[in-house]
Amino acid sequence: MKMIWLIAAREYAENVKTKGFWIGILLFPMILIAVFFFQSMLAESAPTRHYILIDQSGQYAPAVESAIRQEHQRRILQEFVAYVIEHRKEANPEQTVASADAQINQLIDDVDAGEVAAMDQWLDNGGLNFALTLATPYLREDAPPFVAPREQFIQAPLPEGVNASAAPEEIIEQIRPWLSGQRQLRVESSNGSDEESGDLFALILIPAQVNNSILRPSAVPLAMNQSGAGIQYWARNLTDVRLPNAIERSINTTIRNNEFAARGVDAGIVREVQRTRLPVSRLDPSAEQGQEAVGVADQFRQWAPVGFVYLIFVSLMQSVQYLLSNTIEEKSNRIIEVLLASVTPLELMMGKLLGIGLSGITTIIAWLLSFLAFILFYPGNQAEVLGQFLDVLLSSDLIPYFVFYYLAGYALYSGIFLAIGSLCNTLKEAQSLMMPMIMILMLPLATMTYIAQDPNGPVARIMSWIPLFTPFTMMNRAAADPPLLDVIGTTVVLLLSIALVLWLSGKIFRQGVLRTGQPPRLVEIARMLRHRH
Amino acid sequence: MQDNVLELTRVSKRYGAFTAVDDISFAIPRGTIYGFLGPNGAGKTTTIRMILDILRPDSGSINILGETSALNVRQRIGYLPEEKGLYKKMKVWAIISYFATLKGMDKRAAKTRAFELLETYGLKDYAEAKVESLSKGMGQKVQVLSAVAHRPELVILDEPFSGLDPVNQEVLEQLINDMATAGQTVIFSTHIMQHAERLCDRMLLIAKGRKIFDGTITDARAIIPRRVILECQGDISPIMKMEGILGVIEKNVGNTDTNGTRQWELQIHEQANPQLILQRCFENGIPLSRFDYTQPSLHDVFVQLVGNDAREHHFR
Repeated sequence: MKMIWLIAAREYAENVKTKGFWIGILLFPMILIAVFFFQSMLAESAPTRHYILIDQSGQYAPAVESAIRQEHQRRILQEFVAYVIEHRKEANPEQTVASADAQINQLIDDVDAGEVAAMDQWLDNGGLNFALTLATPYLREDAPPFVAPREQFIQAPLPEGVNASAAPEEIIEQIRPWLSGQRQLRVESSNGSDEESGDLFALILIPAQVNNSILRPSAVPLAMNQSGAGIQYWARNLTDVRLPNAIERSINTTIRNNEFAARGVDAGIVREVQRTRLPVSRLDPSAEQGQEAVGVADQFRQWAPVGFVYLIFVSLMQSVQYLLSNTIEEKSNRIIEVLLASVTPLELMMGKLLGIGLSGITTIIAWLLSFLAFILFYPGNQAEVLGQFLDVLLSSDLIPYFVFYYLAGYALYSGIFLAIGSLCNTLKEAQSLMMPMIMILMLPLATMTYIAQDPNGPVARIMSWIPLFTPFTMMNRAAADPPLLDVIGTTVVLLLSIALVLWLSGKIFRQGVLRTGQPPRLVEIARMLRHRH
Repeated sequence: MQDNVLELTRVSKRYGAFTAVDDISFAIPRGTIYGFLGPNGAGKTTTIRMILDILRPDSGSINILGETSALNVRQRIGYLPEEKGLYKKMKVWAIISYFATLKGMDKRAAKTRAFELLETYGLKDYAEAKVESLSKGMGQKVQVLSAVAHRPELVILDEPFSGLDPVNQEVLEQLINDMATAGQTVIFSTHIMQHAERLCDRMLLIAKGRKIFDGTITDARAIIPRRVILECQGDISPIMKMEGILGVIEKNVGNTDTNGTRQWELQIHEQANPQLILQRCFENGIPLSRFDYTQPSLHDVFVQLVGNDAREHHFR
């Protein structure tokens, strides 16, 4: 036993000294920080976009303008809700988040549905200022003032020499240099009244005869891609679709209102009908009475196992790869012979498993700690949401599941990879033997989303009974209260398989480590397994 | 009964149809330096692996330090394998002390011992260096030190001299002698006869898996008769019938060079005195141009005993 510890201690110390180990440990928190940091950076640095609106029909300019105004108000609303959540006085955080979420969803839904009236009402009430007055009592005293986001879409004047009443084709020809970025617009500077140059982001051209292109259910549908039909939106940027989408929504609302009027229907009634809704409460029968309402946290609890499966996979891959290359190093250096003159093959194998297993656990603990530190020190509401997730995790029984299946998975796969390593002299040789194992390891990863959605379905149950998949699949199902038969049965099968795999790979290991030359064929491996030392 | 640290009795090992070690028996007394000699592929490494119980013999028995398996006494054995290798990323002192702790030494004692050895054998400046920064020869010295750091009773070194420069070969010889002085038994294999000649008390010669010779260096030399080489113009018949001369062979018969010089090799008895032969030559007026008396070297013994096998192997 002392020898096992000595070997484990060396393996651990050497592994911890490698660059790869530290890259592995640091990568996770760095990704975490980068994701959050860049997200907020991107949101703040959204560029100002200039557009030109030419409405030859004279009917839709107000609709387009209102669409852009709505887009802007929506952003203000979003930012404002985030601001309130961040700087509110301490209350019941989960409830605040949940109800604020519900409110913002309602508002965004309304704005999406073309609720011009709702928007007008919000503006009539003083808009942002009114909301601020309402919210102030609930904010902490030291909260910084709310800074509304800049307007992102700004209408630019028509460049000189362009005739707004010319034929559409002609206008496009004239504006093309600006659209293609060859020429710059003279626009108002963002910080003062000085003029500066800016790119033309988009041209919205509404032809005079645009009403002829209105599509009605009774009409024979036109080819959708017919160029130039309806309103023309010209822009080189194909990815930022907020502007065209907002315009389309807003104009369609206007057209529908016109249709209501033409058919003698009261648009106000229609709007009221559209705003009528019946909420669907999501309830969980397995929760305690009075706690059945499904919140964000509950959903998270259901999905958390997927994260754990992924964690097991990543950590396992790292550990077994290290185990493999380390065994091959000892073999190709012939250090193994000195070691075997000092310790038994079993002691050597167990020492390796233990040492590298411990360094894998160290990585996971470091990840969890950095996750925790991130939650504690990162300002902002996203981190608070993460903190709630952490509470959910710690209060659930997922952690013991994770610890057990991590260790079981490690024991199972490390035994196999150690045996492979003992048979090969170079990593290149090992690769061909590793391929099938990697493929097998990929399967639980490929099915993990599916199994999370159908945790007690036939696929999940069958995979649970295959020992190579048990650690992953059972972890995946951990939150869904799998039948007791599955939990106990698969655990027994898994433990038996681990014992068998370690015993067999011990046999292969003790014969493989002293082998030289080509990796053996299957027949030879079978002979090794039968061999009695 | 003599105090033997190692006894092999009729040990054989086969790999399929190939017999690597064939019915070998020998015993090694405590405190000796014992040479394992033989051409490449003779079965030296296989024998050593069986002694260490890394391989099991197919038949025969091994008694090592009073046990049937080296695994039971592995803390009392030090082993340097034929193919040398160390963990590249470890520090020199750390690797010596690691292997010593694997042999049961206390951690602190192992560290002290590592620095002590490095100082004694001229590697003090490299104690904190990583193994990968060492030259091959230095790495090999480190490995030898790591094999013997725990002061084992029995040291087995497989080809310890290969790859070392003459200076370091001497350092290693010194180390082996030091250990013998301290009462440790040293077994080493080599195919360089000079080392065996200088160091060994006893030696074992194997070829093609069979034991060819086992005994002291003096015994080995006795296998080849002593020789005297004579060169002269004319005939040496007056001395041919001398007492103590076992045989006379004329070299290059009928192929004399321009001035008619002929060469003979006289094989003489071990106790015969070469001075007498020289005296007899003068008495008989034989005009010697060369009189050469040499002790047979171990090299000659080696070539004599396994020469044919080794060459066969070479051409195979």
